[in-house]
Formats: sequence, structure tokens, C-alpha cells
Amino acid sequence: MRCGDYKENYIKDEEIFQSRFVKFWLALFFIFLIVFPFIANAHMLYVSNIIGFAVIGAVGLNLLTGFTGQISLGHAAFVGVGAYASAILITRLGISFWLSIPLAGLVSALAGMIIGIPSLRVKGLYLCIATLAAQFIFGFIFVHWESMTKGITGIHIPPPQIGGFQFSTEKDFYWITLVFVVLGVGYARNLVRSKMGRAFVAIRDRDLAAEIIGINLFRYKLSAFAISSFYAGVSGALWVSFLKVVTPDHFPFTLCIQYLAMVIVGGLGSVIGSIFGAIFMTLIPEVLNVMAENAKNYMPGMEHLLIPFKDVVFGFLIVSFLIFEPRGLAEIWNRIKKFFTLWPFSY
Amino acid sequence: MKKIGFFVLGFILFLGPFSIAMAQQTPTICAIHPFTGRFAFAGIEGSAAMQDVVDMANEAGGINGKKIQYYWADGEYKDDVGIAAFKRLYAQYNPQIMFGQSTGMTKALGPEIKTRYKVLYSAYTMTSEAANPKENPYLFLAAPTYAEQFAVLLKYIVKEKPGANVAFFYSDTEFGREPIAAGREMCKKMGLKLVAEEVSQVGGVDITTQVLDMKAKKVDYCIFQGYVSNPIAAVIKQSKDYGLNAKFMGTFWSTELQLLKELGPLAEEYTGVTAYSFYFQEDVPMIKKIREWTQKKYPKVEYRSQSYMENFATTLLYVECFKRADKMKGGFTGDNLVKALQSIKNFDVGGLMPPITIKDNSIPVGRVYRGNSKTVKFDPISDWIRLD
Repeated sequence: MRCGDYKENYIKDEEIFQSRFVKFWLALFFIFLIVFPFIANAHMLYVSNIIGFAVIGAVGLNLLTGFTGQISLGHAAFVGVGAYASAILITRLGISFWLSIPLAGLVSALAGMIIGIPSLRVKGLYLCIATLAAQFIFGFIFVHWESMTKGITGIHIPPPQIGGFQFSTEKDFYWITLVFVVLGVGYARNLVRSKMGRAFVAIRDRDLAAEIIGINLFRYKLSAFAISSFYAGVSGALWVSFLKVVTPDHFPFTLCIQYLAMVIVGGLGSVIGSIFGAIFMTLIPEVLNVMAENAKNYMPGMEHLLIPFKDVVFGFLIVSFLIFEPRGLAEIWNRIKKFFTLWPFSY
Repeated sequence: MKKIGFFVLGFILFLGPFSIAMAQQTPTICAIHPFTGRFAFAGIEGSAAMQDVVDMANEAGGINGKKIQYYWADGEYKDDVGIAAFKRLYAQYNPQIMFGQSTGMTKALGPEIKTRYKVLYSAYTMTSEAANPKENPYLFLAAPTYAEQFAVLLKYIVKEKPGANVAFFYSDTEFGREPIAAGREMCKKMGLKLVAEEVSQVGGVDITTQVLDMKAKKVDYCIFQGYVSNPIAAVIKQSKDYGLNAKFMGTFWSTELQLLKELGPLAEEYTGVTAYSFYFQEDVPMIKKIREWTQKKYPKVEYRSQSYMENFATTLLYVECFKRADKMKGGFTGDNLVKALQSIKNFDVGGLMPPITIKDNSIPVGRVYRGNSKTVKFDPISDWIRLD
């Protein structure tokens, strides 16, 4: 139980990690993240990288949907825009991977701002459908603008390198993913407690009242779309550089649903919720896959039931979390923290 | 006591590397099948086929006494899940041969297989990228590519009606678009007129516009690509309503009994190309063997699909490659298995396919079958057509 916790100035009061206890465990977590690639095998590192890309994309979507209240069904399209932008910059213009990532993010941000223009006139489900149009428009462009995207054949991308060293394996790429995840999450966490972040929340909660108190809806809504799409673009660019290939089939509509699911299950309006949601939606299916594969070894001939059953289990888990905690995994985490703040006392 | 201890230690140390060497030399196949997802119909049959061939080979003595190990995972027909399963199985079992679930997964893993994994690899795909020995020496297809299947159909059309009006009807997916560019070139070379290209969604049934367009352009032959059933059945049915007198053809994935059942009395309107015999062709020795095995092991199973036959043929090749590589210095290495694959000429598979000769890492053969509404089966209407 925390005692004697007092602050002498506002700067200390506004710190994100306030107690030594939290700072200690955070440091330990970072040490684990650094040690992890040396103890994990290729499969675990592959999954970790995928989780990292999902975290970046989910944080971006949460900034738009969770904090600003703008529902978007076009997130996969912006991931694709970033992916293709990065691939084209690397393979056609010879730009290095390190520069192509932020540039791909900017291209995606621009696309997001254009698609976000309807948000000034429509909201809720109507905006949802307007952003869905982005998914189909960009999907069409990825397939048919063959001179740029090479259509269904796709673009093969060389691995990133520094000097003569190539980041070609999962372990090498893990460091790149880790850096971008830390930067992305750190920026988002600070953004939401800045003036812009508070404007986003005001727009989400009551946009008319926000406008009345002087918040420029046009500016902040487009900013939300731009920042969210920037995150999506960076996520896409990293993902395809990791896979070393980009094709239109990488960005189906189901990817939009997956990102929305990450944000909802993790917790709308919470950066740590995006992280939990990304880990949950990526890791749990993988764990269920491994369990189903092992189970079929003990029950041969039953794989027709066991393997599809994992989808039932996954759906049941999602529904259970939402029934018992509609505000997502982030709220479960907050309740656990609150419990231990007063522990061993009840009140 | 000390002496005995040293002897025991020495024996263990001697055995240790020996046992590691033995483990490394266990012929191992790992596969990622789409056991769930929209391609589950192929994955379930494919995994059964691989298991059956491995069991048959092990019952016959394995590879010079070594039992073939076979492990598989569900890739859900999603590239991320499939690639994760690939890496998991490779890390766990260190196989020499692997099998993937899709074109996307094949394209993503191709460069790594070439530089890092070096395993003999095939997949549920007929993309030309997997039949390019210069770029991807470890990838191969136990089938003709989609472009080669188109070539078989176009050759058949030229024989039936030189200079005919042809239409390509394909889905707006990678699967659908893959052979179209090559198909256009082939039409030019063979003197066929490509008068229409119709595109639609997979599974869509709103194809009236496309049917009317083909009627206006007086299409004689329409080749489908990128579909398993719908909208093929819908197009054929609507063509009768709108008076389109074209002959309809398709490639491997649609040349299946499921489509004939949907077509009902219009089954004769569909002609397809496939590289494998069908389960009901009981006069084919390998089919007879498959039927006996299936009736013994799976008495409730009434039919094995073309997906089963494709994987059966692929695994027969895997077993043959193991046998040949076992005689090479170094044993079961990726490079030896590739050499073994390249050495396969006129390999008899009991009529499942014509004697197999690998050319440019694929098997460019096919046979044209027509649907029969009375028997609800496919009748062969051509001999094996080779493209080499």
C-alpha cells in the first residue's frame, strides 16, 4: 500500500509513472524485453514482431476511435498505404528503410486526412461507412495501379540494413520493432495528456460543447485522422519490411475488424488498452493453435473437432471479457492496481 | 569402479553425437494446412492425403528402414498464422521438407527458404513464382501452374474450333488474376480471339452484366479462373436464360464434384482441366490403391477430392526425393532433395498422373474432363496433354 506519497510541484504530480514501485517494475519489464530475443526461438520472435506491429496500429486506431470518438473502418487501408509507400520508396527511389518509415507514415497521414474530411459533416455509423469506402478504394488501387504496386504479384522488399549488417532475421528485426513501439506508445501516452489530447476527448464526449468552448473541430478531427493514419502507415511499413513482400492480399477488410477488436477488447480511450488488445488478439489465437495441435496428438482422428473448436474458444473469450468488463482489459488492469493500492486493507 | 565409470561416460559421449546425427537424418515432413478458414475444404483433404502416403511408405519400410515423420499445423488460410506455424514447426522438428497453405505464404517465405531454411517446399498454390528454379530452387509444384492449365485448355479449344472467340472470367483476387497476362499472350500465339475479360467477386451471384456482355461479343468459349464454385454455376445457368451459347471451362480448383452437384442437369456445360485422376476412376491402379486404403482406414469416407489427389501426388514425390537423397553424400539435406527432385523423370505414379517428369519445378500436364449430369462425375474427353 502506497504511503507518504506527496508531491512538491506540479511537474512531479503530472508524471506518468509516479511511484518507485512502478518505476522498478517498468525497468524490470524493459530488461525482460532486452533479454527476450536471446532466450526466445524464431517462432516466439516472429510472434513478438507481429504483436509489435499490431500495438502500433492499435494505438493509432485508439487515438482516433477511443479518444476522439471517430469510428473508422478504413484502418487496414491506411496500413496498406504506408506499406506500399514504404515499398515503393525503397525499391523504386532507392530511399533507405530508415527514411522510408516516417515518409510512409506521412503519406498515410495525408491519405487519412483526405478520408477524414467527411468527419466534419457526418458522425457515428455514417462516418463508419464513409471510412469503409476508403478500404475498398485503396484495395482497388493496390490491385489495379499495377505500374506502381505491381498488382497481385506484389513488391519484394530487401531487408533493412546499417552499413553491411542486414536486419534479415526475426531476432534482428525485433530491435527495430521494439524501438518503434516504445516511441509510438510514449508519444501517444504524452499526446493524450496534452492540449491536443484533451481536445480529442472533448470532441468525443460532446463535440458541440467542445466547439462552443473554442475547440476547432475541423483542425482537431483532421489531426486525429492524420495521427492515427501515421501510426497505421508506420505499422504497415514495418510489417512488410519484416515480411519482405507486400501484396494486396495483406490488407483485407477483416484486418480493419481485427484492429477494431483490439481496441474494443483492450479498452477504448486507453493507450495501455491498445497494447493489451493487440497482445490478446495476436497471442491468444497462436496459443490456441499450439494447444489444438498438441491435443490432436493425444486424440488422433479428432482434429476435425479440435482444430475448429479453437475459434469457438477465442470467440467465447472475447465475449466473456466484454460481458464481465465492457470497458476492456485496461479496466481489469486498473481494478487490479486499485486493489493492490490499498492491499491488505479493503478500504 | 572408476574404470567402469570412464567406459560408461565414453560410451555415452560416443553415442551422443551419433544419436544427434541419427535425429538429424530422420526424414521429416512438416506441413501447414488450411484446416479452418475458407480453404478448409482443401486443407482437410490435403492433410489426410499426406498422412496416408506417409503411412503407406512407412508400412512399406520407410526410407531404407527409417520411418518418415510427419507433423502438421493449421494455418487458418491467413499468412501471418501460416508463417508463424512454419517457423514453429521448423524450430521444433527441423524438417527437410515443408508444405505451405497459400500463394501469399509462399511468396513471403520464398526468399527465406532460399537463403536460410533450405527445405524442399511446395504448397496449395499453382503460382508461376513457385515454379521458377532459377529464383526459387527449393520451391516446386506437383502440378501445372495456372498459366500451364490455361495453355492446356486453349490447346484443346484450338483443336476443337480454331480462331474461336474466347472470354476470360476471373475473380478480382491474386488467385484469379495470376494466369491472365500469360493467357492473353497464348491467345495471340494460338490465333484465338480474346473478345472479353469479365471480372467479378468470389462467390458473387450478380453476374448478369457479364453474361450479357459475353453474349453481345459472341463468346464461343469462356474460361473461369479464381473460383471454386460460385459464380460459375450462376453464370452457366444464366447463360441458358439469356441465350448465350458458349462452352464453359475452368481450371483445377473448380473442376470438382461440388460444382457438378450445383449445376445439376447443366453439368455437361462445364469442362475442366486437372492434372490428376478422379476417385471414381477405378480402373486406374493408384486410384484403386487409394480406394482400398480409404475403405480400410476411413470406412465412412465416400469420396476423395482433387485436393486429396494433389497432395497425394506431392507426397509421393517427397517420398521419392527422400529415397534418392538417402543415396547421396550428406543424406537428407535441402540441396540433395532439390537434386533428387530434378532427377525425377518418367516417375510412375500408377496412373494418378502420367509418368512424372519435373520441368522447371512443375509438372506441365493436364487432362480435360467434361461433367456428366447422369452419373454426376467427370468424363475424360482428352488424353493427357503435355506442354513440355
